[in-house]
Amino acid sequence: MNIIEIKNLSHRFANGEIGIDDINLTIREGEFVVFAGMNGSGKTTLFRHLNGLLTPSGGSVILDGISVADDPKRARRMVGMVFQNADSQIVGETVYDDVAFGPENLGLEQAMIAQRVSEALHAVGLNAHADKRPHLLSGGEKRRLAIAGILAMGSRVLVFDEPFSNLDYPGICQVLKQIVSLHHAGHTILIATHDLEKVIFHAQRLIFMKDGNIIQDGAPDDNLKEAERFGVRTPCATHFGKEPISWLT
Amino acid sequence: MADVTAFSYLTGASALHKMDVRFKLASMILCSLTTVKTQFAGLFFLTLVLGIILLYIRFPLKTLIRELRYFSVLLLFVFIARSLSAPGLPFIKLGFVTVTYKGISDGALVCWRLLNIVFTGLIFVATTRPSTLKTAVEWWLKPVPFIPEQRVAVMISLMIRFMPVILEQARETADAQKARGVENRKNPFYRLKKIALPVLIRTFVTADELSVAMDARCYTEKRTSMKLTAGKNDWLILGGVILLCCLMVV
Ligand SMILES: Nc1ncnc2c1ncn2[C@@H]1O[C@H](COP(=O)(O)OP(=O)(O)OP(=O)(O)O)[C@@H](O)[C@H]1O
Ligand SMILES: [Mg+2]
Repeated sequence: MNIIEIKNLSHRFANGEIGIDDINLTIREGEFVVFAGMNGSGKTTLFRHLNGLLTPSGGSVILDGISVADDPKRARRMVGMVFQNADSQIVGETVYDDVAFGPENLGLEQAMIAQRVSEALHAVGLNAHADKRPHLLSGGEKRRLAIAGILAMGSRVLVFDEPFSNLDYPGICQVLKQIVSLHHAGHTILIATHDLEKVIFHAQRLIFMKDGNIIQDGAPDDNLKEAERFGVRTPCATHFGKEPISWLT
Repeated sequence: MADVTAFSYLTGASALHKMDVRFKLASMILCSLTTVKTQFAGLFFLTLVLGIILLYIRFPLKTLIRELRYFSVLLLFVFIARSLSAPGLPFIKLGFVTVTYKGISDGALVCWRLLNIVFTGLIFVATTRPSTLKTAVEWWLKPVPFIPEQRVAVMISLMIRFMPVILEQARETADAQKARGVENRKNPFYRLKKIALPVLIRTFVTADELSVAMDARCYTEKRTSMKLTAGKNDWLILGGVILLCCLMVV
Protein backbone atom coordinates (compact mmCIF):
# COMPACT_ATOMS: atom_id res chain seq x y z
CA MET A 1 0.00 0.00 0.00
CA ASN A 2 1.31 3.46 -0.90
CA ILE A 3 1.31 5.85 2.01
CA ILE A 4 2.93 8.68 0.05
CA GLU A 5 2.26 9.46 -3.60
CA ILE A 6 4.03 12.42 -5.16
CA LYS A 7 2.86 13.47 -8.61
CA ASN A 8 4.71 15.97 -10.82
CA LEU A 9 5.72 18.00 -7.79
CA SER A 10 7.58 21.25 -8.47
CA HIS A 11 8.52 24.15 -6.28
CA ARG A 12 9.83 27.51 -7.33
CA PHE A 13 10.89 29.96 -4.59
CA ALA A 14 9.82 33.59 -4.53
CA ASN A 15 13.19 34.67 -5.93
CA GLY A 16 12.73 32.43 -8.96
CA GLU A 17 15.11 29.74 -7.75
CA ILE A 18 13.94 26.21 -8.49
CA GLY A 19 13.83 24.08 -5.34
CA ILE A 20 12.47 20.86 -6.83
CA ASP A 21 11.45 20.11 -10.35
CA ASP A 22 8.75 17.67 -11.49
CA ILE A 23 9.22 14.91 -8.95
CA ASN A 24 7.28 11.63 -9.15
CA LEU A 25 7.61 9.17 -6.32
CA THR A 26 5.63 6.60 -4.36
CA ILE A 27 6.53 5.25 -0.95
CA ARG A 28 4.98 2.18 0.63
CA GLU A 29 3.88 2.04 4.24
CA GLY A 30 6.70 0.80 6.48
CA GLU A 31 9.50 1.53 4.02
CA PHE A 32 12.89 2.88 5.17
CA VAL A 33 14.05 5.33 2.51
CA VAL A 34 17.23 7.38 2.40
CA PHE A 35 17.41 10.51 0.25
CA ALA A 36 20.96 11.47 -0.58
CA GLY A 37 22.33 14.41 -2.48
CA MET A 38 24.65 17.39 -2.30
CA ASN A 39 23.94 20.60 -0.44
CA GLY A 40 21.20 22.40 -2.29
CA SER A 41 19.92 19.33 -4.15
CA GLY A 42 16.38 19.86 -2.85
CA LYS A 43 16.01 17.32 -0.05
CA THR A 44 14.68 19.77 2.53
CA THR A 45 12.41 21.42 -0.01
CA LEU A 46 10.91 18.06 -0.97
CA PHE A 47 10.35 17.06 2.67
CA ARG A 48 8.61 20.32 3.49
CA HIS A 49 5.93 19.50 0.94
CA LEU A 50 5.03 16.28 2.73
CA ASN A 51 3.28 18.09 5.56
CA GLY A 52 2.29 21.24 3.77
CA LEU A 53 4.95 23.57 5.17
CA LEU A 54 5.59 24.58 1.57
CA THR A 55 2.90 24.83 -1.09
CA PRO A 56 3.77 23.30 -4.45
CA SER A 57 4.04 25.48 -7.53
CA GLY A 58 2.78 22.47 -9.45
CA GLY A 59 1.74 18.88 -8.82
CA SER A 60 0.54 17.32 -5.59
CA VAL A 61 1.37 15.11 -2.62
CA ILE A 62 -1.17 12.47 -1.63
CA LEU A 63 -1.00 10.86 1.79
CA ASP A 64 -2.90 7.63 2.12
CA GLY A 65 -5.47 8.71 -0.43
CA ILE A 66 -5.98 12.32 0.63
CA SER A 67 -4.08 15.27 -0.82
CA VAL A 68 -1.96 17.38 1.54
CA ALA A 69 -3.43 20.54 0.06
CA ASP A 70 -6.95 19.37 0.94
CA ASP A 71 -6.21 18.63 4.56
CA PRO A 72 -2.91 20.10 5.77
CA LYS A 73 -3.80 19.51 9.41
CA ARG A 74 -4.13 15.78 8.84
CA ALA A 75 -0.86 15.82 6.91
CA ARG A 76 0.93 17.42 9.84
CA ARG A 77 -0.48 14.85 12.21
CA MET A 78 0.44 12.01 9.93
CA VAL A 79 3.93 13.15 8.94
CA GLY A 80 6.17 14.02 11.86
CA MET A 81 9.29 15.97 11.02
CA VAL A 82 12.63 16.28 12.78
CA PHE A 83 14.43 19.32 11.44
CA GLN A 84 18.02 19.91 10.49
CA ASN A 85 18.60 22.21 13.46
CA ALA A 86 17.53 20.48 16.68
CA ASP A 87 17.77 23.64 18.79
CA SER A 88 15.32 25.70 16.85
CA GLN A 89 12.47 23.25 17.10
CA ILE A 90 12.25 23.19 20.87
CA VAL A 91 9.10 24.99 21.94
CA GLY A 92 8.63 24.03 25.58
CA GLU A 93 10.37 25.28 28.69
CA THR A 94 10.79 21.77 30.01
CA VAL A 95 11.25 18.44 28.27
CA TYR A 96 7.73 17.43 29.30
CA ASP A 97 6.17 20.67 28.04
CA ASP A 98 7.96 20.36 24.76
CA VAL A 99 6.64 16.88 24.06
CA ALA A 100 3.16 17.96 25.18
CA PHE A 101 3.10 20.83 22.68
CA GLY A 102 1.88 18.72 19.77
CA PRO A 103 -0.89 16.85 21.63
CA GLU A 104 -2.04 20.15 23.16
CA ASN A 105 -2.43 21.54 19.68
CA LEU A 106 -4.56 18.55 18.78
CA GLY A 107 -6.86 19.51 21.63
CA LEU A 108 -6.55 16.21 23.49
CA GLU A 109 -7.66 15.74 27.11
CA GLN A 110 -5.06 16.43 29.84
CA ALA A 111 -4.99 12.78 30.95
CA MET A 112 -4.54 11.59 27.40
CA ILE A 113 -1.72 14.07 26.85
CA ALA A 114 0.06 12.93 30.00
CA GLN A 115 -0.16 9.34 28.84
CA ARG A 116 1.12 10.09 25.35
CA VAL A 117 3.98 12.22 26.65
CA SER A 118 5.11 9.56 29.06
CA GLU A 119 4.93 6.88 26.38
CA ALA A 120 6.91 9.02 23.96
CA LEU A 121 9.55 9.88 26.55
CA HIS A 122 9.85 6.21 27.45
CA ALA A 123 10.24 5.27 23.81
CA VAL A 124 13.25 7.57 23.41
CA GLY A 125 14.63 6.93 26.89
CA LEU A 126 14.25 10.47 28.19
CA ASN A 127 11.68 9.84 30.91
CA ALA A 128 14.22 10.61 33.62
CA HIS A 129 14.70 14.10 32.17
CA ALA A 130 11.04 15.15 32.02
CA ASP A 131 11.55 18.18 34.25
CA LYS A 132 14.84 19.33 32.77
CA ARG A 133 15.19 22.40 30.62
CA PRO A 134 15.66 21.25 27.00
CA HIS A 135 18.59 23.57 26.41
CA LEU A 136 20.62 21.72 28.99
CA LEU A 137 20.33 18.42 27.11
CA SER A 138 23.15 17.02 24.98
CA GLY A 139 22.94 17.11 21.19
CA GLY A 140 21.84 13.49 20.91
CA GLU A 141 19.26 13.95 23.66
CA LYS A 142 17.87 17.04 21.91
CA ARG A 143 17.35 15.05 18.72
CA ARG A 144 15.65 12.30 20.68
CA LEU A 145 13.48 14.94 22.33
CA ALA A 146 12.45 16.14 18.89
CA ILE A 147 11.61 12.53 17.98
CA ALA A 148 9.51 12.18 21.15
CA GLY A 149 7.69 15.36 20.19
CA ILE A 150 6.45 13.83 16.95
CA LEU A 151 5.81 10.38 18.44
CA ALA A 152 3.41 11.99 20.92
CA MET A 153 1.36 13.24 17.99
CA GLY A 154 0.94 9.71 16.71
CA SER A 155 2.65 10.28 13.36
CA ARG A 156 2.88 7.24 11.07
CA VAL A 157 5.48 8.70 8.75
CA LEU A 158 8.67 10.01 10.36
CA VAL A 159 10.82 12.37 8.34
CA PHE A 160 14.38 13.17 9.43
CA ASP A 161 16.34 15.99 7.86
CA GLU A 162 20.07 15.40 8.46
CA PRO A 163 19.45 13.65 11.79
CA PHE A 164 23.15 13.08 12.47
CA SER A 165 24.60 16.52 11.87
CA ASN A 166 26.58 17.91 14.80
CA LEU A 167 26.44 14.66 16.76
CA ASP A 168 29.34 12.75 18.26
CA TYR A 169 29.67 8.99 17.90
CA PRO A 170 27.52 8.03 20.92
CA GLY A 171 24.99 10.66 19.87
CA ILE A 172 24.75 9.18 16.39
CA CYS A 173 24.30 5.69 17.81
CA GLN A 174 21.54 6.84 20.16
CA VAL A 175 19.59 8.49 17.39
CA LEU A 176 20.21 5.72 14.86
CA LYS A 177 19.08 3.06 17.33
CA GLN A 178 15.94 5.08 17.91
CA ILE A 179 15.21 5.38 14.22
CA VAL A 180 15.79 1.68 13.57
CA SER A 181 13.53 0.64 16.43
CA LEU A 182 10.79 2.97 15.20
CA HIS A 183 11.07 1.35 11.81
CA HIS A 184 10.65 -2.06 13.41
CA ALA A 185 7.59 -0.73 15.21
CA GLY A 186 6.01 -0.15 11.81
CA HIS A 187 6.69 3.52 11.07
CA THR A 188 7.57 4.66 7.60
CA ILE A 189 11.00 6.32 7.76
CA LEU A 190 12.39 8.98 5.41
CA ILE A 191 15.91 10.31 5.98
CA ALA A 192 17.71 13.07 4.12
CA THR A 193 21.49 13.02 4.32
CA HIS A 194 24.67 13.52 2.36
CA ASP A 195 26.49 11.06 4.55
CA LEU A 196 25.45 7.48 3.72
CA GLU A 197 27.94 5.77 6.01
CA LYS A 198 25.74 5.92 9.09
CA VAL A 199 22.36 4.75 7.83
CA ILE A 200 22.72 2.84 4.63
CA PHE A 201 23.00 -0.57 6.30
CA HIS A 202 19.45 -0.17 7.63
CA ALA A 203 17.87 1.36 4.53
CA GLN A 204 15.67 -0.55 2.10
CA ARG A 205 15.74 2.05 -0.60
CA LEU A 206 18.18 4.72 -1.66
CA ILE A 207 17.19 7.77 -3.70
CA PHE A 208 19.69 10.23 -5.16
CA MET A 209 18.71 13.83 -5.79
CA LYS A 210 20.49 16.47 -7.80
CA ASP A 211 19.40 19.99 -8.74
CA GLY A 212 15.85 19.37 -7.59
CA ASN A 213 15.42 16.09 -9.46
CA ILE A 214 15.39 12.44 -8.50
CA ILE A 215 18.11 10.91 -10.63
CA GLN A 216 18.43 7.42 -9.20
CA ASP A 217 16.03 5.30 -7.18
CA GLY A 218 16.57 1.70 -6.12
CA ALA A 219 17.82 -0.80 -3.58
CA PRO A 220 21.04 0.32 -1.81
CA ASP A 221 22.82 -2.85 -3.00
CA ASP A 222 22.34 -1.82 -6.60
CA ASN A 223 22.97 1.91 -6.65
CA LEU A 224 25.34 2.50 -3.74
CA LYS A 225 28.41 2.13 -5.96
CA GLU A 226 27.31 5.07 -8.05
CA ALA A 227 26.92 7.51 -5.17
CA GLU A 228 30.03 9.51 -5.96
CA ARG A 229 28.73 10.36 -9.38
CA PHE A 230 26.04 12.36 -7.57
CA GLY A 231 28.35 14.12 -5.16
CA VAL A 232 27.75 11.80 -2.22
CA ARG A 233 30.56 9.82 -0.63
CA THR A 234 30.12 6.05 -0.72
CA PRO A 235 30.61 4.24 2.59
CA CYS A 236 34.15 3.02 3.30
CA ALA A 237 33.20 -0.64 3.12
CA THR A 238 31.88 -0.20 -0.41
CA HIS A 239 35.22 1.29 -1.44
CA PHE A 240 36.88 -1.93 -0.42
CA GLY A 241 34.31 -4.02 -2.23
CA LYS A 242 32.57 -5.15 0.95
CA GLU A 243 29.02 -4.93 2.22
CA PRO A 244 28.16 -1.91 4.42
CA ILE A 245 28.06 -2.63 8.14
CA SER A 246 25.78 -1.28 10.84
CA TRP A 247 26.98 1.44 13.19
CA LEU A 248 25.07 -0.27 15.94
CA THR A 249 27.30 -3.31 16.29
CA MET B 1 25.43 25.91 27.72
CA ALA B 2 22.72 28.30 28.86
CA ASP B 3 22.96 28.22 32.63
CA VAL B 4 21.60 31.78 32.41
CA THR B 5 20.13 33.78 35.21
CA ALA B 6 18.72 33.55 38.70
CA PHE B 7 15.34 34.28 37.19
CA SER B 8 14.45 30.69 36.56
CA TYR B 9 12.43 27.91 38.08
CA LEU B 10 13.91 25.92 40.96
CA THR B 11 12.47 22.46 41.37
CA GLY B 12 11.11 21.96 44.84
CA ALA B 13 8.12 20.92 46.88
CA SER B 14 7.51 23.84 49.24
CA ALA B 15 4.05 25.22 49.97
CA LEU B 16 4.80 28.04 47.54
CA HIS B 17 5.65 25.56 44.81
CA LYS B 18 2.33 23.83 45.34
CA MET B 19 0.29 27.02 45.52
CA ASP B 20 -2.20 27.71 42.73
CA VAL B 21 -0.48 30.06 40.32
CA ARG B 22 -3.47 32.35 39.97
CA PHE B 23 -3.29 33.06 43.69
CA LYS B 24 0.45 33.39 43.63
CA LEU B 25 0.30 35.86 40.78
CA ALA B 26 -2.31 37.94 42.61
CA SER B 27 -0.25 37.82 45.81
CA MET B 28 2.85 38.93 44.01
CA ILE B 29 1.12 41.86 42.37
CA LEU B 30 -0.43 42.89 45.69
CA CYS B 31 2.95 42.76 47.43
CA SER B 32 4.62 44.83 44.72
CA LEU B 33 1.88 47.45 44.76
CA THR B 34 1.99 47.69 48.53
CA THR B 35 5.73 48.10 48.48
CA VAL B 36 5.38 51.23 46.41
CA LYS B 37 3.07 52.71 49.02
CA THR B 38 4.89 51.83 52.24
CA GLN B 39 7.44 53.71 54.34
CA PHE B 40 10.57 52.44 56.12
CA ALA B 41 8.83 50.48 58.88
CA GLY B 42 6.64 48.55 56.45
CA LEU B 43 9.56 47.93 54.12
CA PHE B 44 11.63 46.55 56.95
CA PHE B 45 8.88 44.15 57.87
CA LEU B 46 8.33 43.07 54.26
CA THR B 47 12.04 42.52 53.65
CA LEU B 48 12.11 40.35 56.75
CA VAL B 49 9.21 38.25 55.48
CA LEU B 50 10.69 37.96 51.98
CA GLY B 51 14.07 37.02 53.42
CA ILE B 52 12.50 34.23 55.45
CA ILE B 53 10.67 32.98 52.35
CA LEU B 54 13.90 33.03 50.31
CA LEU B 55 15.54 30.88 52.97
CA TYR B 56 12.49 28.62 53.15
CA ILE B 57 12.48 27.86 49.42
CA ARG B 58 16.25 27.30 49.63
CA PHE B 59 17.13 29.99 47.16
CA PRO B 60 20.87 29.65 46.46
CA LEU B 61 22.55 32.64 48.11
CA LYS B 62 25.39 32.62 45.58
CA THR B 63 23.13 33.14 42.58
CA LEU B 64 21.28 35.83 44.49
CA ILE B 65 24.44 37.83 45.04
CA ARG B 66 25.74 37.23 41.53
CA GLU B 67 22.48 38.33 40.00
CA LEU B 68 22.05 41.40 42.20
CA ARG B 69 25.52 42.59 41.24
CA TYR B 70 24.25 44.25 38.08
CA PHE B 71 21.05 45.35 39.69
CA SER B 72 22.95 47.14 42.44
CA VAL B 73 24.61 49.36 39.85
CA LEU B 74 21.17 50.46 38.72
CA LEU B 75 20.16 51.05 42.33
CA LEU B 76 23.25 53.18 42.86
CA PHE B 77 22.32 55.38 39.92
CA VAL B 78 18.77 55.75 41.19
CA PHE B 79 20.08 56.62 44.62
CA ILE B 80 22.49 59.27 43.33
CA ALA B 81 19.88 60.81 41.07
CA ARG B 82 17.39 60.97 43.91
CA SER B 83 19.73 62.42 46.47
CA LEU B 84 20.82 65.17 44.14
CA SER B 85 17.39 66.15 42.97
CA ALA B 86 15.43 66.61 46.23
CA PRO B 87 15.24 70.10 47.79
CA GLY B 88 15.65 70.70 51.55
CA LEU B 89 18.24 70.90 54.29
CA PRO B 90 21.72 70.43 52.77
CA PHE B 91 23.75 67.46 53.98
CA ILE B 92 26.92 68.25 52.06
CA LYS B 93 27.72 70.80 49.40
CA LEU B 94 30.16 69.97 46.59
CA GLY B 95 30.64 72.92 44.30
CA PHE B 96 27.28 73.59 42.75
CA VAL B 97 25.65 70.25 43.70
CA THR B 98 23.92 69.88 47.00
CA VAL B 99 23.04 66.62 48.67
CA THR B 100 20.11 67.03 51.02
CA TYR B 101 18.97 64.94 53.98
CA LYS B 102 15.63 64.49 52.31
CA GLY B 103 17.40 63.43 49.12
CA ILE B 104 19.28 60.71 50.93
CA SER B 105 16.24 59.36 52.68
CA ASP B 106 14.19 59.54 49.46
CA GLY B 107 16.88 57.71 47.54
CA ALA B 108 17.19 55.01 50.17
CA LEU B 109 13.42 54.54 50.23
CA VAL B 110 13.14 54.15 46.46
CA CYS B 111 16.06 51.74 46.29
CA TRP B 112 14.72 49.66 49.11
CA ARG B 113 11.33 49.47 47.42
CA LEU B 114 12.89 48.35 44.15
CA LEU B 115 14.92 45.75 45.98
CA ASN B 116 11.80 44.38 47.64
CA ILE B 117 10.02 44.17 44.30
CA VAL B 118 12.94 42.25 42.84
CA PHE B 119 12.86 39.84 45.79
CA THR B 120 9.14 39.32 45.30
CA GLY B 121 9.69 38.62 41.61
CA LEU B 122 12.56 36.24 42.35
CA ILE B 123 10.45 34.24 44.76
CA PHE B 124 7.60 34.08 42.29
CA VAL B 125 9.74 32.95 39.37
CA ALA B 126 11.73 30.48 41.42
CA THR B 127 8.63 28.66 42.64
CA THR B 128 6.56 28.77 39.47
CA ARG B 129 6.73 26.44 36.52
CA PRO B 130 6.63 28.66 33.43
CA SER B 131 3.92 26.57 31.81
CA THR B 132 1.58 27.08 34.75
CA LEU B 133 2.33 30.79 34.80
CA LYS B 134 1.08 31.08 31.26
CA THR B 135 -2.10 29.24 32.24
CA ALA B 136 -2.65 31.66 35.13
CA VAL B 137 -2.17 34.71 32.93
CA GLU B 138 -4.61 33.18 30.48
CA TRP B 139 -7.16 32.74 33.28
CA TRP B 140 -6.83 36.32 34.51
CA LEU B 141 -7.08 37.73 30.99
CA LYS B 142 -10.20 35.77 30.08
CA PRO B 143 -12.69 38.39 31.33
CA VAL B 144 -10.76 41.21 29.66
CA PRO B 145 -12.38 41.99 26.31
CA PHE B 146 -10.39 42.34 23.08
CA ILE B 147 -7.41 40.45 24.40
CA PRO B 148 -6.83 37.03 22.79
CA GLU B 149 -5.73 35.30 26.00
CA GLN B 150 -4.59 32.11 24.25
CA ARG B 151 -2.25 34.05 22.01
CA VAL B 152 -0.85 36.02 24.93
CA ALA B 153 -0.24 32.78 26.79
CA VAL B 154 1.74 31.29 23.92
CA MET B 155 3.68 34.52 23.55
CA ILE B 156 4.63 34.44 27.22
CA SER B 157 5.84 30.88 27.04
CA LEU B 158 7.83 31.59 23.89
CA MET B 159 9.41 34.60 25.55
CA ILE B 160 10.49 32.50 28.50
CA ARG B 161 11.80 29.89 26.12
CA PHE B 162 13.66 32.40 23.99
CA MET B 163 15.45 34.29 26.75
CA PRO B 164 18.22 31.73 27.26
CA VAL B 165 18.67 31.36 23.50
CA ILE B 166 19.08 35.08 22.89
CA LEU B 167 21.42 35.51 25.84
CA GLU B 168 23.47 32.56 24.71
CA GLN B 169 23.70 33.87 21.18
CA ALA B 170 24.72 37.31 22.41
CA ARG B 171 27.43 35.76 24.55
CA GLU B 172 28.68 33.58 21.70
CA THR B 173 28.78 36.51 19.28
CA ALA B 174 30.58 38.69 21.81
CA ASP B 175 33.17 35.98 22.42
CA ALA B 176 33.72 35.48 18.71
CA GLN B 177 34.29 39.20 18.29
CA LYS B 178 36.62 39.39 21.26
CA ALA B 179 38.63 36.61 19.65
CA ARG B 180 39.04 38.90 16.66
CA GLY B 181 40.16 41.86 18.73
CA VAL B 182 37.04 43.99 18.88
CA GLU B 183 38.25 45.30 22.23
CA ASN B 184 40.86 47.35 20.41
CA ARG B 185 38.08 49.53 19.08
CA LYS B 186 37.32 52.13 21.70
CA ASN B 187 34.16 53.55 20.17
CA PRO B 188 31.25 52.03 22.15
CA PHE B 189 28.74 52.80 19.39
CA TYR B 190 30.81 50.89 16.87
CA ARG B 191 30.97 47.93 19.20
CA LEU B 192 27.26 48.08 19.98
CA LYS B 193 26.43 48.08 16.31
CA LYS B 194 28.76 45.17 15.64
CA ILE B 195 27.19 43.08 18.38
CA ALA B 196 23.53 44.08 18.02
CA LEU B 197 23.14 43.41 14.31
CA PRO B 198 24.40 39.82 14.20
CA VAL B 199 22.51 38.93 17.37
CA LEU B 200 19.30 40.39 15.97
CA ILE B 201 19.70 38.61 12.67
CA ARG B 202 20.41 35.30 14.34
CA THR B 203 17.44 35.78 16.64
CA PHE B 204 15.16 36.39 13.69
CA VAL B 205 16.46 33.35 11.86
CA THR B 206 15.92 31.21 14.95
CA ALA B 207 12.43 32.65 15.37
CA ASP B 208 11.68 31.82 11.75
CA GLU B 209 12.86 28.24 12.13
CA LEU B 210 10.89 27.90 15.33
CA SER B 211 7.68 29.09 13.72
CA VAL B 212 8.05 26.49 10.96
CA ALA B 213 8.70 23.80 13.56
CA MET B 214 5.60 24.91 15.46
CA ASP B 215 3.55 24.72 12.30
CA ALA B 216 4.83 21.22 11.67
CA ARG B 217 3.41 20.24 15.05
CA CYS B 218 -0.06 21.52 14.20
CA TYR B 219 0.13 24.77 16.15
CA THR B 220 -3.29 26.35 16.74
CA GLU B 221 -4.63 28.82 19.27
CA LYS B 222 -7.36 26.45 20.36
CA ARG B 223 -5.09 24.29 22.44
CA THR B 224 -5.61 22.17 25.51
CA SER B 225 -4.64 24.27 28.46
CA MET B 226 -3.66 23.09 31.87
CA LYS B 227 -6.26 22.81 34.59
CA LEU B 228 -5.59 24.80 37.73
CA THR B 229 -7.15 23.83 41.02
CA ALA B 230 -7.35 26.05 44.07
CA GLY B 231 -7.35 24.57 47.58
CA LYS B 232 -7.89 25.83 51.11
CA ASN B 233 -4.21 26.71 51.44
CA ASP B 234 -4.33 29.04 48.47
CA TRP B 235 -7.16 31.07 49.99
CA LEU B 236 -5.37 31.12 53.35
CA ILE B 237 -2.13 32.44 51.85
CA LEU B 238 -3.93 35.02 49.72
CA GLY B 239 -5.89 36.17 52.79
CA GLY B 240 -2.65 36.45 54.74
CA VAL B 241 -1.04 38.51 51.97
CA ILE B 242 -4.02 40.87 51.78
CA LEU B 243 -3.95 41.35 55.56
CA LEU B 244 -0.21 41.99 55.50
CA CYS B 245 -0.55 44.52 52.69
CA CYS B 246 -3.34 46.41 54.49
CA LEU B 247 -1.28 46.55 57.67
CA MET B 248 1.72 47.94 55.83
CA VAL B 249 -0.09 50.66 53.99
CA VAL B 250 -1.83 51.94 57.11
N1 LIG C 1 13.75 30.12 1.06
C1 LIG C 1 14.43 29.95 -0.09
N2 LIG C 1 14.45 30.91 -1.03
C2 LIG C 1 15.12 30.74 -2.18
N3 LIG C 1 15.82 29.63 -2.50
C3 LIG C 1 15.86 28.63 -1.60
C4 LIG C 1 15.17 28.73 -0.35
N4 LIG C 1 15.37 27.59 0.33
C5 LIG C 1 16.15 26.81 -0.45
N5 LIG C 1 16.44 27.42 -1.62
C6 LIG C 1 17.22 26.87 -2.74
O1 LIG C 1 16.61 25.67 -3.16
C7 LIG C 1 17.59 24.69 -3.45
C8 LIG C 1 17.31 23.42 -2.67
O2 LIG C 1 17.53 23.67 -1.29
P1 LIG C 1 17.30 22.60 -0.15
O3 LIG C 1 17.39 23.31 1.14
O4 LIG C 1 16.07 21.85 -0.44
O5 LIG C 1 18.56 21.65 -0.34
P2 LIG C 1 19.06 20.45 0.57
O6 LIG C 1 19.19 19.27 -0.32
O7 LIG C 1 18.19 20.31 1.76
O8 LIG C 1 20.50 20.93 0.98
P3 LIG C 1 21.30 20.72 2.36
O9 LIG C 1 22.02 19.44 2.23
O10 LIG C 1 22.25 21.87 2.38
O11 LIG C 1 20.32 20.78 3.47
C9 LIG C 1 18.92 25.31 -3.15
O12 LIG C 1 19.50 25.69 -4.38
C10 LIG C 1 18.62 26.51 -2.31
O13 LIG C 1 19.51 27.55 -2.59
MG1 LIG D 1 18.50 20.55 3.80
